[in-house]
Amino acid sequence: MSQLMDEIEDCVPALRRYARALTHDPDRADDLVQDSLERAIRKRSLWRPSGSVRSWMFRILLNVHRNDIRRLSHSPTPVSLDTMPAGDPAGPDIQQGRLALAETARAMQTLPLEQREVLLLIAVEEMSYAEAAAVLSIPLGTLMSRLARARAALRDLTQAGSPKLRSVK
Amino acid sequence: MSRNRQQPPEHDLHAYADGRLDAAARTVVEAYLADNPAAAEEVEDWKQQNETLCALYGSAVAEPVPLRLDARRIEWESRTDAGRSGRMAAAAVLLLAAGAAVGWYGRGYLALAGPAEITLADEAMTAHLVYSGEVVHPVEVWAREKDHLRAWLSKRLSRPLTIPDLSAGGLSLVGGRLLPAASGPAAQVMYEDGTGRRVTLYIIPVTDGRETSFRHAALDPLEAFVWTDEAISCALVGELPRNRLLEIATLAYRQLE
Repeated sequence: MSQLMDEIEDCVPALRRYARALTHDPDRADDLVQDSLERAIRKRSLWRPSGSVRSWMFRILLNVHRNDIRRLSHSPTPVSLDTMPAGDPAGPDIQQGRLALAETARAMQTLPLEQREVLLLIAVEEMSYAEAAAVLSIPLGTLMSRLARARAALRDLTQAGSPKLRSVK
Repeated sequence: MSRNRQQPPEHDLHAYADGRLDAAARTVVEAYLADNPAAAEEVEDWKQQNETLCALYGSAVAEPVPLRLDARRIEWESRTDAGRSGRMAAAAVLLLAAGAAVGWYGRGYLALAGPAEITLADEAMTAHLVYSGEVVHPVEVWAREKDHLRAWLSKRLSRPLTIPDLSAGGLSLVGGRLLPAASGPAAQVMYEDGTGRRVTLYIIPVTDGRETSFRHAALDPLEAFVWTDEAISCALVGELPRNRLLEIATLAYRQLE
């Protein structure tokens, strides 16, 4: 049981990152993580070592988030530049990078939740496709099509700002 | 040569952008992208999206975890909470489960049914009695249309529902139907074991779901376990030994969270 607690504890930073990316609201994100932790800890006797603790925690967080949205009928608040990370992103062109960040942040807010959920699990949490599909309880094919739609939408929405490089390796 | 120009599946293009391909598949994708500048540009954009998203959101991991998200502290608080609610006695109207289930009571997973649970158990048992014996029309939507069943019931109950897979408990899905409950729509999902014995899972939506432990109810010869999760209340009904039904309820509960 104590090892399970260790593993739950290890998930907290990634859960915060994911919750913040989903909500664009650090306080609300921490509320979600807190609710998820409370729920996981209450239910930990029902956790079975068939999947990873990380998958389980993310699944709980996603459920808590969806319930939260349903309860509050919360519409996403527009992102302000204040919520942008203070540090400059790594990259050759800082101005360009910062523009792309703001633009991407705004674009992410307009994506349907199910697409954001998927894209963030893959791009930021770096989950395998199989794990992300398990976390979301959807078939792999559905995951891939949501990922494709998310990327296409994001590409449309940020077309102007992103520098076009070509890989000719 | 011409093999390389064949378009790789879209899955592989995404996996390439995400760095999830093995060397052989990577070579195929790279050869294709070298010949297809538009696709190469798109894949390059995806990679940049990943980098941008990591730059945008990645920093949160490095921040110190605030006290309220300290898992150990939450665990400690949950133990003191459990002690408090454990002292609250719920009204016991139906059968007092004993025997093999005592361990569950002792650990706080089981409690006696209160009025809301009894209403739910009663509805679920009635619905079970009506439909579980049906030969021709036990369900409206059969197991072979499981995705449709899930989508339909989710829509009608305004909740993302999962149709639990109870094969680990020796049960296969028969199908499901929508029913009128006292409070509005209810879903009934039916399963059967190898001998054709049926178990039904009855689900109603709730708005302020306070999670409960499993509550037990019995009405000879039926046994039921009832619980409430965040957005739904469920009753699992069957003519099975109590312990076996509890195992199945646990399976369903875990998948319905």
